[in-house]
Amino acid sequence: MAEDPTAAMAKECKVRLKISDDTIFEVEYAVAMQSQMLKNALSDTGTDGTVPLHNISSEIMAKVVEYCAYHVNAANTISEKDVKIWDQEFLKDLDQATLFNLIMATQYMVIHNLQDLICQTVADRIKDKSAEEVREIFNIQNDLTPEEEEEIRHENQWAFEEEGWPEIQEEVRLEG
Amino acid sequence: MRLEFCSKKSSNNHHQGRVLVHQRAGVQMPDHFDRLPNSVVLLIFNKLGDIKALGRCAAVSKRFNGLVPQVEEVVVKVDCVISGEDSAGGLGGRSRSIFGHLFRFVVGSIVKPLQALQQILGPKRVVLAEVSHHSPGEVLKNFKEIQNLRIELPGGELGIENGVLLRWKAEFGSTLESCVILGATSYFRGGGDKITGKEEDALCQDNHNHNRELSNSQDDSGSIPESFYTNGGLKLRVVWTISSLIAASARHYLLQQIISDHPTLQSLVLTDADGQGMLCMGKEQLREFRDKPLAASATANRTQVPALNMKLWYAPYLDLPAGAGMEGATLVAIRPSDRPIRKETEAFVAAAFDEPFGEAAKAMVKRRTYLLEMNSF
Repeated sequence: MAEDPTAAMAKECKVRLKISDDTIFEVEYAVAMQSQMLKNALSDTGTDGTVPLHNISSEIMAKVVEYCAYHVNAANTISEKDVKIWDQEFLKDLDQATLFNLIMATQYMVIHNLQDLICQTVADRIKDKSAEEVREIFNIQNDLTPEEEEEIRHENQWAFEEEGWPEIQEEVRLEG
Repeated sequence: MRLEFCSKKSSNNHHQGRVLVHQRAGVQMPDHFDRLPNSVVLLIFNKLGDIKALGRCAAVSKRFNGLVPQVEEVVVKVDCVISGEDSAGGLGGRSRSIFGHLFRFVVGSIVKPLQALQQILGPKRVVLAEVSHHSPGEVLKNFKEIQNLRIELPGGELGIENGVLLRWKAEFGSTLESCVILGATSYFRGGGDKITGKEEDALCQDNHNHNRELSNSQDDSGSIPESFYTNGGLKLRVVWTISSLIAASARHYLLQQIISDHPTLQSLVLTDADGQGMLCMGKEQLREFRDKPLAASATANRTQVPALNMKLWYAPYLDLPAGAGMEGATLVAIRPSDRPIRKETEAFVAAAFDEPFGEAAKAMVKRRTYLLEMNSF
């Protein structure tokens, strides 16, 4: 009885990925399958030849491969808690540019779990910040007119009240 | 009174009152968000979830302002719950509601007759949940696309003594569909993680070991001991059950406006920071709620609780992982009398709670089952 062809491929095949500076990354088939985009591309053309990924740099590709290689096996063999610890270590010290480059790469390659992880990290950096701080951290241009901004702040005043927190607390005490 | 977001204070001080001029000498740093398509920015916002953070994002830029209302996953942390009535003794305005105060009073003293409970709940009490002095409904107003909403109260409504455990999880459509309650007269974690005060610990641990030895030597079939009926043990469990059902039905009642204002809702969870109670409504249940409005109870602002069938399991002592344990553990699985019996009771009950309580529940359903009935109230 012949062995399941997919399993055989997973063990032996390497997939060749050509990135922005024409470097070739060779990754195991199972690792490449973490990308929905590669999965679709390879199911049509097979694993011979090279898949071009012109818009991804060497540095980013290395991180993507590192993540996918770990997670290929993680689901079945490593505890959820340990996977989370590994993920946090993976994210450590990544600068903003790298984070966003990773988001774009996972968007293009369609790697949901990594994209979710990075997006959650960005969300965590936004979470407790004021609007000005968010703009400053992410270099976002404020294109709202002062009137527009005032209107939004008024409409969503429940989100901004902490910014005047000490004053408001006084009022509450007086009212009992 | 408003306890959330204290950590923001320190970073806010120097921003207060002025808009930061956003300028860097030399190199202009890139705005990475520019590169992301809207779908990805929305993904980030959906991960953000917290409604106050989303409200602030709406003031960052035009683009953010346009995307925030499209968020599908939202978490609303309620800052405080206050009584709508002016109450004597300054009970209003505390972080626990009037409900909490009443139940602390009733549950703590085992001897109180059950009738007193109804009398105490008689006068109309309005319980308002607030986010910085705004109702959750108001705060959610502009979010028209919410699919998954989680609301978190600052604490459980049921005031209970130190060391006592009481947790419930209830599912509702238009009316109660199911409820699982786990209680223990004493719950302690193993190792260094103690719940009671330090000096009591050594004494407690000795007592627990002693009780464990006692119960091991007795018949451990799960039979409720005779003393239970006379020493107030049964009454206590009934009070736990009723209190939990009242808390659940009061939360359900609070949700009417939110559910009708957000037809896109597919799941709704109302929980609390203590992890005491969780109310859940799924897609089908929300649909039923919209088609068939709830029946309010006559006396208080809560949904009518239908006639119920209950299964109860008891363990005088339960060993849990990592040296933790429970005394007087009681598990109750409740469903309305007019609903068909769930075949997978055990799986359903065990899945109701996070660990370590899931393990506790699994162990308890194997014991002797007691059946009870309760009238609608």
